[in-house]
Amino acid sequence: MTSPFGGIVPVGIGGIAGVASTAATTGTTGTQATQGDGGFAAVLAASFDRLQGTQSAADSLATQAATGDLKDVHDYMIASNEASLATEMVVTIKNKAVEAFNEIMRMPV
Amino acid sequence: MAVFDTLGISGSGLLVHRKWLDAVSDNISNINTATRTNEDAFKERFIVARAVDYGSGEGGVRAARAEFGSGQGRLVYDPTHPLADKDGMVKYPDIDLGGQMTQLLMAQRGYQANLAVVERATTAYQAALQLGRR
Repeated sequence: MTSPFGGIVPVGIGGIAGVASTAATTGTTGTQATQGDGGFAAVLAASFDRLQGTQSAADSLATQAATGDLKDVHDYMIASNEASLATEMVVTIKNKAVEAFNEIMRMPV
Repeated sequence: MAVFDTLGISGSGLLVHRKWLDAVSDNISNINTATRTNEDAFKERFIVARAVDYGSGEGGVRAARAEFGSGQGRLVYDPTHPLADKDGMVKYPDIDLGGQMTQLLMAQRGYQANLAVVERATTAYQAALQLGRR
């Protein structure tokens, strides 16, 4: 008879890494971070870095809009749109990961 | 961010249509610019758009270059004009206002269409992020 707990074995650190690789295949970060050390934390940190980049691009365009140096209105609108989407995405991924972690922590031992 | 490629692609479309609008407004603003008969008339501006190959590049479109129409113009009899020659002729650019208005419509509609794509793509991405949310 196969162990009823067989399915649970990869959960834990492996499960978190699994979440990380899912995040990587959706394109949030580079794939190399998931294979090596760091796991999900590294993935999350890398996507935060990217998010920072998107937001600073939007910020500099906002400054240009305020100072009158902005050449194209749509550039700023798209950049701010992208920044808010990226924020939403990173937060969603974070929420999902925390949710999974909590689910595991609630597991009766 | 590479995930939101559509936004950048539509952004390139917006840029090209903005340049087209610029060219049309340039043409219309100079439609009554008189010159001497021995000079070139104002040359009509055209924007040449080129596709960025989606397979090898990131997709989208770019304004490759600006082309200029003929400077031949049309001669108009206006002897009181300070630029008139000894026969009383001046030169006006040979730009058709009707054609320019048509181009204006196309450029405006194209710009709006690209903005609609940005909007729809944003909604789609947001819907994807809502997936499985309780």
